[in-house]
Amino acid sequence: MNTEETTKISVCPVSELPPGQKVIIEHDGEPIAVFNAGGEYFAIEDRCSHDDGPLAEGEWYPADCTVECPRHGSLFDLRTGKPKTLPAFEPVRTFTVGITDENITLEV
Amino acid sequence: MATAEAIAEKKAVEGINSDYKEKFGFSDSEAGYAYKAPKGLNREIVESISEYKNEPEWMREFRLKAYETFLDKPTPQWGADLDQIDFDDIHYFVRASEKNSRDWSEVPEDIKNTFDRLGIPEAERKFLSGVGAQYESEVVYHQVNEKLEAQGVIFTDMDTALREHEDLLREYWATIIPPADNKLAALNSAVWSGGSFVYVPKGVKVEMPLQAYFRINTENMGQFERTLIIAEEGSEVHYIEGCTAPVYSSDSLHSAVVEIVAKPDAKVRYTTVQNWSQNVFNLVTKRAIAEERATMEWVDCNLGSKVTMKYPAIYLTGKGAHGEVLSIAFAGEGQHQDAGAKIIHVAPDTTSSVFSKSISKDGGRSTYRGLLEVANGATGTKSKVVCDALLLDDKSESDTYPTIRIDESDADMGHEATVSKVGDDMLFYLQCRGLSEEDASKMIVNGFIEPVTKELPMEYAVELNRLIELQMEGSIG
Repeated sequence: MNTEETTKISVCPVSELPPGQKVIIEHDGEPIAVFNAGGEYFAIEDRCSHDDGPLAEGEWYPADCTVECPRHGSLFDLRTGKPKTLPAFEPVRTFTVGITDENITLEV
Repeated sequence: MATAEAIAEKKAVEGINSDYKEKFGFSDSEAGYAYKAPKGLNREIVESISEYKNEPEWMREFRLKAYETFLDKPTPQWGADLDQIDFDDIHYFVRASEKNSRDWSEVPEDIKNTFDRLGIPEAERKFLSGVGAQYESEVVYHQVNEKLEAQGVIFTDMDTALREHEDLLREYWATIIPPADNKLAALNSAVWSGGSFVYVPKGVKVEMPLQAYFRINTENMGQFERTLIIAEEGSEVHYIEGCTAPVYSSDSLHSAVVEIVAKPDAKVRYTTVQNWSQNVFNLVTKRAIAEERATMEWVDCNLGSKVTMKYPAIYLTGKGAHGEVLSIAFAGEGQHQDAGAKIIHVAPDTTSSVFSKSISKDGGRSTYRGLLEVANGATGTKSKVVCDALLLDDKSESDTYPTIRIDESDADMGHEATVSKVGDDMLFYLQCRGLSEEDASKMIVNGFIEPVTKELPMEYAVELNRLIELQMEGSIG
């Protein structure tokens, strides 16, 4: 049984994150990147599991649902948080994204 | 003062690589070359390489993006001095022959003579399953045993693989070493040419080694081959590479990328006998992934080059995988061998060992730089790192930079490092048994590197011992 409690936080209005765009927010001092890949939303911890550098500053590919770490090039799957290429080998955290009253929300 | 030590010191400056120029350091005429790009690197050069090779659009884009990454990344400052490299004074693409032949008689005469002198065709006949010969930027000859081909083994040059096995190549391409991994990997990704593509199907065991031989001929040349080895479940393969270049007064650059995927229960061994001339910067990124119960072994012998920076890496991603690095570095006058190993235990019950041996003489510098990491969740791992350095005189240097990160409390990890000198007492003892001083010192060195040479196929062990003996000649009276 998952005993972890989650809180719903607001990211931004849907209109402010059109397809192909990303936004980085901070929650409890932790950066989280939220992506709109062709109308589907994904959120991951904005910190590379390889060397803790910011991840979402790198290029991302909406069609493949991946983001590339700008520091050493590891490619992460936005759906699972898992790296698809080395040098990273551990996944980054992912968050459930929802829409409430035309606002994008995250469960953290 | 005519002590043994003083005589040894005097003679130490003589003899190193004394016959390199004659045996490997000759150069051929470039008169018949098909194409030679002007010196320097820019977007147009990168585009022209891709266009010249008639590559698919995705590869052209891959190269151009990597070129931007190369420009953005700073030159590493933590190892050997790379600021001496003038990236604008290098030919990034040189095509010596229009043809990549499977028939030795079709290889252009000059090139054929070169490889004959280096003994490649003879080796192919005697003890190899397949051979590739790269001359400048491209492979000029490639052949693989017909039986293996019938079993589905692919051993071809990377340019041909991109044309004939595009989907398979693309699935793994740059997944082990992305261009942004480091500045030199980005450079390779932008201007790569040649190298080997090896695919071993499930359960196939390639009994005799596959070999690639790399030759640089042009002055101020950059050679940027890429090698990708995919060993499917339960398969086995041993790949060997060798390399030489002419002796020139200005520098050349060799920067390769080698990616290896060892699937569950596969066994891959990759052996390098690096003997570049002493005007070559050898900056290579090598990395392998070993899945469940797979074994990956790097046998890395660095004898030549001006500067080598190379740290073969193994990511043990599957439960029970095993990784091994055996490394020899020989640093003579004017040489800096900055070598080492990286082992990352990602999965539980993985095991690894690193044996590094370095010999420094005549003011040469050898460095061991290693990383051993046990990641969170990799329980029950065992690892052993042994670094031994042998200094043959007071002018030479040896450094060890081991980095160890352990995130699991039950990891069993050992690190040993020794530095020793060939002392008068050792030489005296052996001389008392009737050996000359020179033979005594050779024997000490051979004994020192024996744990690595015994892992090489016999022909290579003999060659390595011979090369080291040549380097040793006259060094200690």
